[in-house]
Order: sequence, then C-alpha cells, then structure tokens
Amino acid sequence: MTSVTGQANAPRRPGPARAGTLRNVWQHRADYAYVLPAIVVMLIVIAYPIYYTVDLSFYTTPPSLQLRDKIFVGFDNYQAILTSEVFWRVTWNTLIWTFLSTVLSFALGFATALALHRDFIGRGILRAILIIPWVISAVAASYIWKWIYHSDFGVIGAILVGLGIADRPPNFIDSVGTVLPSLIVVNIWREFPFAMIMIMAGLQTVPDQLLSAAKVDGASAWQRFWHVTFPHLRNVSTVTVLLLAVANFNSFIIPWIMTGGGPSNASHIWITHIYELAFGRQRWGVASAYSVLLFLILMTIGYFYVRALSGDKKKDREA
Amino acid sequence: MAETSTARARPRKRVDRWRWAGRIFLGLMLLYTAVPMVWMLLTSIKSGFAAMQLPPQWWPAEPTLASYQKLLDPQNSVGADFLHFFWNSLIVSTLTTILGVIVAVPAAYAFSRFRFPGRNFLFFAVLLRNMFPAVIFLVPLFILMRWLGLVNSHGSLVVTYLTFGLPLSIWLLKGFYDNIPIQLEQAARIDGATRFQAFLKIVMPLSVPGIIATAIYSFIGAWNEYIYAYTFLNRNDQLTLPVGIQRFFSENTTDFPGLMAASFMMSVPVVVLFLVLQKYFVRALTEGAVKH
Amino acid sequence: MARVVLDDLMKSYGNFHAVNHVSLTVEDGEFVALVGPSGCGKTTTLNLVAGLLPITSGDITIGDQVVNDLDPKDRDIAMVFQNYALYPQKSVYKNLAFPLQMRKLPRDEIDRKVKEAARVLDMTHLLERKPRELSGGQQQRVALGRALVRDPAVFLMDEPLSNLDAKLRVQMRSELKRFHHDLQATIIYVTHDQLEAVTMADKMAVMNGGNLQQYDSPAQVFAHPANMFVASFIGSPAMSLIPLEASTVDGNIVLTGAEGWSLPLSSFNSRKIQNAKTRKVVLGARHSTIKLHKTAVSDAVPAKAYTVEPTGDVTFVQAFLSGAIVNISVPPNVDVAPDEQIWLEFDQERMHLFDGETEMAIKAD
Repeated sequence: MTSVTGQANAPRRPGPARAGTLRNVWQHRADYAYVLPAIVVMLIVIAYPIYYTVDLSFYTTPPSLQLRDKIFVGFDNYQAILTSEVFWRVTWNTLIWTFLSTVLSFALGFATALALHRDFIGRGILRAILIIPWVISAVAASYIWKWIYHSDFGVIGAILVGLGIADRPPNFIDSVGTVLPSLIVVNIWREFPFAMIMIMAGLQTVPDQLLSAAKVDGASAWQRFWHVTFPHLRNVSTVTVLLLAVANFNSFIIPWIMTGGGPSNASHIWITHIYELAFGRQRWGVASAYSVLLFLILMTIGYFYVRALSGDKKKDREA
Repeated sequence: MAETSTARARPRKRVDRWRWAGRIFLGLMLLYTAVPMVWMLLTSIKSGFAAMQLPPQWWPAEPTLASYQKLLDPQNSVGADFLHFFWNSLIVSTLTTILGVIVAVPAAYAFSRFRFPGRNFLFFAVLLRNMFPAVIFLVPLFILMRWLGLVNSHGSLVVTYLTFGLPLSIWLLKGFYDNIPIQLEQAARIDGATRFQAFLKIVMPLSVPGIIATAIYSFIGAWNEYIYAYTFLNRNDQLTLPVGIQRFFSENTTDFPGLMAASFMMSVPVVVLFLVLQKYFVRALTEGAVKH
Repeated sequence: MARVVLDDLMKSYGNFHAVNHVSLTVEDGEFVALVGPSGCGKTTTLNLVAGLLPITSGDITIGDQVVNDLDPKDRDIAMVFQNYALYPQKSVYKNLAFPLQMRKLPRDEIDRKVKEAARVLDMTHLLERKPRELSGGQQQRVALGRALVRDPAVFLMDEPLSNLDAKLRVQMRSELKRFHHDLQATIIYVTHDQLEAVTMADKMAVMNGGNLQQYDSPAQVFAHPANMFVASFIGSPAMSLIPLEASTVDGNIVLTGAEGWSLPLSSFNSRKIQNAKTRKVVLGARHSTIKLHKTAVSDAVPAKAYTVEPTGDVTFVQAFLSGAIVNISVPPNVDVAPDEQIWLEFDQERMHLFDGETEMAIKAD
C-alpha cells in the first residue's frame, strides 16, 4: 500500500507506465466494490469451469468420473472427434439449425414488428399473444409441439388428412428427412417474438421528424422505410441477429426433449451430442474436447457479439 | 379532372396494398402462434380417451377439468408431486431473481458511471458469459457442486442461474443508468449525500423500471431452465417444474391431457408476470439496449 | 458566507489540461462569473470547486479551509445545475427538504426552512407538485430554492438560465441579481453568455482553452480587454478586429490596410506602437466608436458596406475592411445600401491595439 502511494508521489509521471496503472487502480479501489460480487460469481461459475474443461479434454476418465483415475491421452480425444462420421453429420445439422432458425426468426420478427407499428384496434392484445411463445418454457413448448406433430393423433396430420393433402398423418419427427425442419419450426415459434420485441423497441427510436421530412421530400412508404427507418434499425438488428445466432447455436431443450437427437442422429446438434457423450455415454474426456472446440468457435463469434453490444465504448464520458 | 383523380387514387391504392399485406401477414402469424396454444388448452380439457381419436375431436365433446383436478390435488400422488415441483420452481426462481438484482444493480451502476482501469475488459468478460452454452460448464460445474456438496440442492441451481441472468441484466441496467443525468447524483452529493447515499436515495428509485425488467428476465430464465436442473438434481422432492414434467411424461407416455394441463399450469405464472410487466421490459430494451 | 481562493489550480486528463494554472480569489459576498466558450474549462473549474472532480494539483480554499480532499457534502456549498437536476421522483417540498434531511436537521426545523424558502421564492402553492409538472421557470426556482434553503458558504451556479426562454431569462437575471444583493451571498456563476456575466457579476473571469484570460470587473474587462480573445468575446456585436501593418511615414506612425490606405495615429497610440515588438498590429474597435461617413473625410478610411441590419433604435452596418468584417452602429435615419462605398473614422481615444503575433493588448508604457 505504502509502496504504491510512494511511487505515485514521484515527481514526474512517466505516461501510462506501471506505477501510473497501479496508482490508477488504487485511486479507483472503491469502484471495484460495486462490480466485485458480479465478478466473483462469474469467476466461480465461468473461469473455473473453462479451465477445467480444457484440462479434462486431454484425459480419459472412468465412467464414474472418479478423477484420480483419469489417464492423460494428449490430443487423442480431439483426433477421435474429427475423424468420426457423427461429428460431420452433427456439425452439418448444427449449421442448418442455426442458420435457418436465426434468419427466419429474425425475418418473421422484423416483419411482425413493422406490421404492428401502425396503430389499430386490438394491437396491444395481438402483440401480447404473439409474445407468449417466447415466455413459456421450452420444455412446455416441446411437449405442445410433440403432441401437435404426433404421428397418429397430431392435429397437423389430421388437418392435412382432412383437407385431402395427405392420405395418412405424416411422420414429422420420426423420419430422418423431416425431423430437422420440423424442429426448426418449433424453434422459430419460440424465437421470432424476441426479434419482434427488439425491433419494436428499435422502431420507437426512429425520429418522427425525419419521417415527416422524408414525406415532405416526396419519399414513398417504401423509400421512407429504406432510407430512414432501416438505417436506424441497423444496430439493433445486428445485436438481435447475433443474440439469436448464439442462442440457436447453443440450443438444447427442443431437440433433446422432442427427439433426443434421433432418429439416427438426424436431429442431433452439437450441444445435444456433447450432452449425450458426457452424461449418456460417460465419455467425459471426449465431451470436454468437444466443448473446447465449441468454445473456440464461440469465441470467434463472441468477438463480433461484444463489439456489437458495446457500440458505445468509444464515447467515454468524464466522471 | 378524370386524370387528376386517378393520379391521386393510385398512391392511396398502393398504401392500401401494403396495409392489407400487413394484416394478412399478422393473421398468419397469429395462427402460427396461437394454434399450438389453443390446441394445448383444448387437449387439456379432454379425457385421455377423447384426446386419442381419429379424426380428432376438434372441439371437446365432453369437456372435463379432471386433469387439472388431478394436478392440484395434494392427496393424489401426481398432484402432490406437481405441487412440490411448482413450489421448488418458485423458490429457486425467486431466490435467483432477488440475488440477481442485488448483484447486477451495483455492477451495472459502476460500469455506467465509473472509469476504473479494466472496466471495459470486465464488462466484455461479463457479456461474454452469454456466449457459452450450459453444456460447456456442465461437467466441471457438476464436479464443483459435488465437491461443494451442493448436488441435489437448490443452492447449486441458484448460483448457476445467477450467472446467466447477470450479463443481460447488467447490460440492460447499464443502459438505464447511462440515461439518468449524472447531475442528479452531483446535486445529491452537494446536498450532503455520500456517493453511496446518492446512489441509494436518488438513482435507485429512478431505475426501478429497469430493475423490474431485469427481475422479470431473471425470473423467467430461472423458471424455464432445464439442463442444469436435469443434471444437478435427481431426488424427486427436489425437482423443478421442467424436469418434473419431463419425468411425469416419461412415466405416463399417453396421458396427453395431463401433460398439456401441466404445460399450461407451468406457463401461467411466467406468462402472467410478463404480460403484466411487459411495458417495463420493452422500455428497458428501448432505453437500455437500443438507444445509443 | 466565505471567500474562495483558487491557487494554481490544474485539472489534466493525460496531456490535456482542462484547467491550466488558474488562480483567482472570490471575495466574501462577491458575485463572480466564469465566462468563456464551450470547452474553455469553466464548468470543469466549477466542478473542481464543488468537489465533483478530483483536482490534479493546486489548492482550493473555501473560508479558512483548504478543501482539496473534502467530499462535496463537507464543503458547505450549494449548486444550481443547468438542467436543474431536480429529483424527479420527489415533490418540490421533498426536493427542498433533501439537503436538510441529509444534514440530519430536526423535522420541524426542516419544515420551517422549506416553507420559508418557498415563501421567499413565491412557490408555496407548488410544494406538493412533482418537478415534471412545473414549467421551466418554476423548475429553475425550485433549483434555486434547494440551494437557498441550506444557507451555504458559497453558491455555485452552472449555466442556470440557459434552458429558459429569452424573456424568462431576462427576468430571472434581474431576480438573481436581487437575490445576490439581498443575501450578500458569495456566488460563482458559470455562463457562456457574456451578457449574463456583464450584467450580473461583480467580477468576471474570462477563460479560454483552460487558461484564465482576464479577471476583473465587467467595466474594466470591457474597457481594457487583455487580449484579442477577450476583446472579441465580450460585447455584442463583437469588437471588430482589423489586421494592419504599422510603418513610419514622414516620421509619423501610420497603420496601413490591405487596400493600401493608411491611418495616422494619435501620439498616445503612436507611443504604444513604438513599444510593440512587431509591425503586425490588430486594430480593435467597438461598433459605437466607429463613425460612418458617406463621403471621404480626412482620417477616415474607405470601406464597402456588406449588410445593413436595422433593429429599431439603431442600425448595424457590416463592412469589409482590410480582409476583416467591421461592425458599425449608426442612427436609424442613416441610409446605407449594401455594396455602397463608405468611409470609416475610428475614435483614437477608444481604439484598442493588439500585437498581431502574441494577440496581447499593446500597453502604452
């Protein structure tokens, strides 16, 4: 303590050198008290597990997860993953799942928000109903849709048969060809309201004066949207798409509850696959190696995510 | 004369076309959203026999509340379990929410107001948490909780849930604090308040809408969480609703009315909570996240 | 009430000096205006006095106490903010009571003082309202009341009138002046509006780029600006500053304009030029000290009218002269048209001469 203040009393300040940093930290010591609880919780539940996962990915452990019996195997776990056929199947599923869910959720949410922007009778109620799927638990949603997709008594199948489109109810989630798109429909059902809320919030920040000015300048509805509204929604759209992409990449519940990854891995995505490797087949080391790979991918996306979220980092106010 | 009237009519027609397109689109979205929920409700008031018919009973011929009665009857073993799960979910979610607010509020305030070294780094680190799926943390956390003796306790869930509520809570609240003029605190400090008093007496009351919004978010997140609960808990009396319902279904594979009733009951608290307080949530998003 | 002394005050952010070696004394009961363009360091200076920002070096003394390390709450100051900073969730009564509650005064005394302040400021009927239900002028009063109720040693005011409309601003200006007169309060008042400073303050501190340019009574600053910045900042319309070349013709000192004309100087002004280190001289003249002629007269220099702005009592003429724009005020009956050839005669007694390189006023000895 004394040494720090002693250094700080040095006559000249050598720019952003070590003593300056320490002094800076010391001067702001009270500020850290505010963030400390958050940081401590995060450290316990994030930093430690990340370290642990990386460590474990180089070992083989007995199914009981008795860690004193673990064996160092180097990069064997990684090699096993990259050479397995399932890996490529699951990766392909993950890409399709993430891409389609994100793009379609965003597009539907965006369009809904625009359609809801104009005031009409019942708008509040309609908006409330449209938001509900986002609020209810994914477990409940999975069961609701599982029942709707039911191969014998499902309501969609019954409607298709009733309309004469199909002879018998289709096997939506029990056949390899249709299972992934069927699950994506469920996922979008739960996620488009999020995009809708975000875009609705963004629409409120579009200045009316600009829209009026554009109107006076003779811009059509479409031109006003394209030249005034849309540029204002760029930031919020970026953030929304990134949040959706991350959430979709990390999905677990819908495929896990509805199909458990089946049939024959057709609806396994990375997360469900890792979960099954770890808790289903007790291959902890391989699962950890998978997690590390996932981690690296996410760090890359994360870089853009944080950049988009903290768009205000440059404007430092004095305080 | 005739020319001018058609020239005038044309743009109006185009606007009408847009409006009709919007209405039709909203109608389709309403169908997409509501049909599954309506079907859930209709199924839940059918008997097990009525639910499994071909072609289906579009409207329940003999509506019954039997499934709900079963779930809410503490004398019945199913009901006793369900009420227990419900209670567990309530405790875990409430604790998570309260602790989350206590931790997030000062952190968000500090990130908004103070310029301490490492501020940006720490803020990014907190935001990054949202990047990672539960699964990455599952194995090590399971080992950690086992070591702490927290497996099969709600404490393990509360601590874990805290961390995934925190990033968005901090982010939303920070936006909220960014919009509260710093002069208010300066005035309070000149009026005789310490920095902390200024925060407590002036800023806190002003950020109540933001706090409500983040509280809803934490509560709903905790209420709906599945993976950790599924992994950390295996004693029947400890389960939360999502895991409990899954267990219920794996034992009663054909009781669709019961399952739909349980799904409905499980959704009611969060849906009601959200619908009542949604204006705070949208406001927090607008002020905190969207404006720059 | 107390006197405030700033001694060699510095506030730096890295290599940027927001407040650069500022020293000044505010005497007990004095109304001092810190004035300058935005970013000149005046608000930063005020925040340093308030204790809202830590100082980099130097000393601040309030009364007999060096307050460098004291919290704002321990400095016995009150502050009125530009946006009033009224606590939005509290009623007017509670806004006024807050500083007293923070000082743990007994409840009945708080009540007495709040009601007294409300009476003085004529807002007893507003006490139960919330700030958002008040007009701008009323909010301004509440902010003032919140400062007043405490009876502090020093009042700090940060552009308190700039959010009001023009008419209300003039009215509040005289009320503030009366308030100062009645209370004999020590007031440090920040404004970018030189007119506010000139009309209200006992002394004004003109700042630019973090540096104190001049600290004196408004009359002195107006009559003897220390440099070109102060000269151009104080007074409206601004003092005209005309860059010229000094030379000696037949033993007499003259100033030569870009157009080639030359202006002979009085002996007093000649002596100033002889003291100057440079030939580049800037002539400063206020609009009222320049005479406009429509025909050539001796000692007048030719210029071209550019715009003519009648305001009723007086008409302002802008003209080009030696690459600068010159403001001249003429009686409303003088008829000048744009682009008309005119002749300007400068009042030698009231003209200012500045060193064209250092921009400082040239002294006579």
